[in-house]
Amino acid sequence: MRRAIGLLAAVLFACAAAGAHAATFDWQRYKGHTIHFLNENNPWANELRRELPAFTKLTGINVEVLTFEEQQMRQRLVTILQSHDAGVDEYMSLSSLEGPLFAHAGWYADLGPIMDAPGATMPGYDVKDFSPPLRKAVTFGGKLESIPVNIEGPLIYYRKDIFARCGVALPKTLAELQAAAAKIHKCDPTIIPWVTRGLAPALPYTFSNVLHNFGADYFSGPRRPDLCAPKATAAIAWYADMLRDYGPPGAVNDSFVQIADLYGAGRAAMAFESSNEFGPIMKFPGRAKDTGLMLLPPGPGGQKPTVIGWGLAMSAFSQAKPETWYFMQWATSKAMQTKLALRGIAPPRRSVAASPAYRAWLAQDPVRAQWAKLIDVMASTGTGEVGPPVRRQAQARQIVGEAVDKVLLGQAKPQAAACSADKQLATMLATP
Amino acid sequence: MANAPLRARVLAALDGAQVVVAAIVLLAPIVWMVAAGFKTSAAVTAYPPRLLFHPTIANYAILFARMPFLHYALNSFVIAGGASVIGLLLGVPAAFAVSWNRMAWPAVAMLAARMAPGALFLLPWFVMFSSIHAVGSYWVLILAHAVITLPLALWIMLPFFDALPRSVIEAAMIDGCSDLAVLWRVALPLVGPGLAVAAILSFVFAWNYFLFALVLSGFSTTPLVVAAFNFVGEGVTNWGALMAAATLIGLPPVVLAFFVQRHLVGGLAAGAVKE
Amino acid sequence: MRRRRFVWMVAPAVAFVAVMVGFPFVDTLWLSGFAFHFGAAPHAVGLGNYRLLLGDDKFWNGLWITFYLYAIALIAQLVLGLYLALLLNRMRRFSKVLRSLLISPFVLPPVVVGLMWLVILDPSIGAANYLLTALGLPPSLWLASPGLVVPTIALIDTWQWTPFIALILLAGLQALPADVFEAAAIDGAHGFALLRRVTLPLLAPSIVTAATLRSVDLLRFFDVIYVTTQGGPGDASETLNIYGFRQGFVFLNIGYACALMIALTVLVLAVVGLLARLRRTVAW
Repeated sequence: MRRAIGLLAAVLFACAAAGAHAATFDWQRYKGHTIHFLNENNPWANELRRELPAFTKLTGINVEVLTFEEQQMRQRLVTILQSHDAGVDEYMSLSSLEGPLFAHAGWYADLGPIMDAPGATMPGYDVKDFSPPLRKAVTFGGKLESIPVNIEGPLIYYRKDIFARCGVALPKTLAELQAAAAKIHKCDPTIIPWVTRGLAPALPYTFSNVLHNFGADYFSGPRRPDLCAPKATAAIAWYADMLRDYGPPGAVNDSFVQIADLYGAGRAAMAFESSNEFGPIMKFPGRAKDTGLMLLPPGPGGQKPTVIGWGLAMSAFSQAKPETWYFMQWATSKAMQTKLALRGIAPPRRSVAASPAYRAWLAQDPVRAQWAKLIDVMASTGTGEVGPPVRRQAQARQIVGEAVDKVLLGQAKPQAAACSADKQLATMLATP
Repeated sequence: MANAPLRARVLAALDGAQVVVAAIVLLAPIVWMVAAGFKTSAAVTAYPPRLLFHPTIANYAILFARMPFLHYALNSFVIAGGASVIGLLLGVPAAFAVSWNRMAWPAVAMLAARMAPGALFLLPWFVMFSSIHAVGSYWVLILAHAVITLPLALWIMLPFFDALPRSVIEAAMIDGCSDLAVLWRVALPLVGPGLAVAAILSFVFAWNYFLFALVLSGFSTTPLVVAAFNFVGEGVTNWGALMAAATLIGLPPVVLAFFVQRHLVGGLAAGAVKE
Repeated sequence: MRRRRFVWMVAPAVAFVAVMVGFPFVDTLWLSGFAFHFGAAPHAVGLGNYRLLLGDDKFWNGLWITFYLYAIALIAQLVLGLYLALLLNRMRRFSKVLRSLLISPFVLPPVVVGLMWLVILDPSIGAANYLLTALGLPPSLWLASPGLVVPTIALIDTWQWTPFIALILLAGLQALPADVFEAAAIDGAHGFALLRRVTLPLLAPSIVTAATLRSVDLLRFFDVIYVTTQGGPGDASETLNIYGFRQGFVFLNIGYACALMIALTVLVLAVVGLLARLRRTVAW
């Protein structure tokens, strides 16, 4: 009861704070204008889209929204940006993937001067509230190129009930994890012990964590691919073996949607997937009760979690920059990020992470508290390297993904696949 | 002697059985899709698959209540309809002239559009239309899809014009009709069925075409075939809704094709069938 | 007496094609001479992209997948289409219902066909595997199997387009002169011999026509692969067209993608040219 009152008070406080800003800041300045927002079908965007009517009511700005599956969104986006078209004002951007390329091409608007213009930004917006590593990840050449909207990284969702039923202890190393999967497989063959990404372009997100825990790196020096090294090869073998021996049929085509489906529907005992899928997974009946969370256990190289974040970026070619910034600051404000945090979007703002409303929400359910704690660990110890450190990320990730898939499908031995990937990466780097 | 009719009857029965089997093979996947559209998500993903289930219209409710399905449908109609009109406006007079003068090269040039991979066009088009700030507009999508409909219209109309008696046209020319009047008042009324086939097939093929709209459509002009991917749930796939959407997207072409079924194959093969 | 008239009426159509088809083709050809990565300034490399292409394993893989898919899909469709056409030709009545059933698959949007089969062929929940296991056969990975993915896509395409081929061949059969068959029957030709010695040679022009139409689509196969596998698993279903699209719109290597598109266009034109020659030799 007391907890509920605390939560209520916190929400009221957040609303009151937003109201106070509204009084001193002219939200209606661009009434009647229209902006165009390209977004991906992911949990953050899905939650934000529900709030859009409130934004239009507040500002009188009309937001045209186009939602795509991730690959399609990018295919559309790059064509638009390459031709310097003003058709998109703002878009979701994964700075760990496309940041260097987009920044180099001049496709991001520099947000610094825009937000610093007189009367452009609401009082109390406080861009310094975003945690410093996240701000650093979206700053290129001293320019702020996007605003973080979440923190995420891969973690393991596991079924406490299945672990208990099969007498499996929580694995403390990668080797123990493999043993746990084997034990579950033996104990209940109808359950899929392990699901994670197999789809080539999506797989580096989860694979990178394994690679780093094995103590390996994509490159041994600038422009020197090093997957052929024994540690990296071992990581590829481990990742592929786990999916082949304990994964679902057709794992090679799985990405986050299929993984959330399989685990959510109760068909899998463990899912190694983004912390961002927490919200959708918890909506499946029963999963909030029987799910436990852990980071990928340490390997020979220790434990080096992966942490990245989506950002909201403005197109350099937008003809409506001040209006777009109105939308961006609203979408990334303390009030909005608090609201979204209560729906399972890990907040990139320090003040939101520490806010009573969020704390109270976390305290309602042990699995939420565990989720937030693991994200804190990721944020403080994680690395943002989700693919080889090159500008042509999409191509590099495809090469890595296909190498792992070749092993998974039994088309190549780990060593051969890894060395061939190195060669392809080297060729790519040598090609202008 | 009595054997022959019996043998013929047995053979006919065997043929009939084979036709039934072929029909089932062709129809079963479509039936499965339509049925899945009336299942809950849990029933779609249930294994073993359920043949008997409680039908629900919840998926259709989702499409119309929670997603702008009607808006996407309208976009598809505008694009396919517009491309058909342009295809006919350009293609029918061209077919008439080609037929009258026995010119081969314009007809062959039209076929070039069918040989190149669609992706080849996308970037140049994008740059071209972007420079006049037209990307994402209905016009660009209509023009792009007219690349599909124009050759179709021209080649479908050719045999119909070829079949017109030259004397009828010549009589009109002697009467001093202008070129357009000859086409409009004399020739067109005689090739009505051809126009219907050309119009419907143009519409169907523009409706079905995926790649151009994937890259060129805009915020408010996305057609159904491109939007189809986004009829999924939040983070998870809503297979029931996806199948309901697929059913609705597939319905107009099937219904339209039904009306021209006798001319359909001739129309599609036009250009290749003729020497 | 023949008077040239109406010639100007081709002008709008020709102008349209020149702008919408001619320009992109020339532009693509031009761009294929540049090292042009999206987001960076292009610089001329002459034939460099084509030289790159010859040494690119992925290009050869794409070429192989393209022809592999083309060959099995085309052969399956021609054989089944011929079988279906002969069957339908023997039936005296050919109901409207049956005909509309036959046209349904190939007028459906490829995106719809792809989504439909995606659900049916899903290795965990799909009806296809249920059918296999019910028949006592082992389940299959279908689209998720690197060895089976191309035959599976060919299966989807065959389902969609066999009726089309059947209807073309049926039209061809019905246009054949009846007296030839009567003469052959008097000569004692029946069943398979009749098919091989009389029907097939007479039907050859229709068969080549059907093959030409399918060749143009199969060599540029895109939609169904984009919807179902995006070229995967790995690169097991990455046709030239999918690879070109990926190089351009995912990897952003525009110059190289243009070279791939030109190569594919040349390939399609070559095959169509060969089939056109074949068409002339089988004419009667």
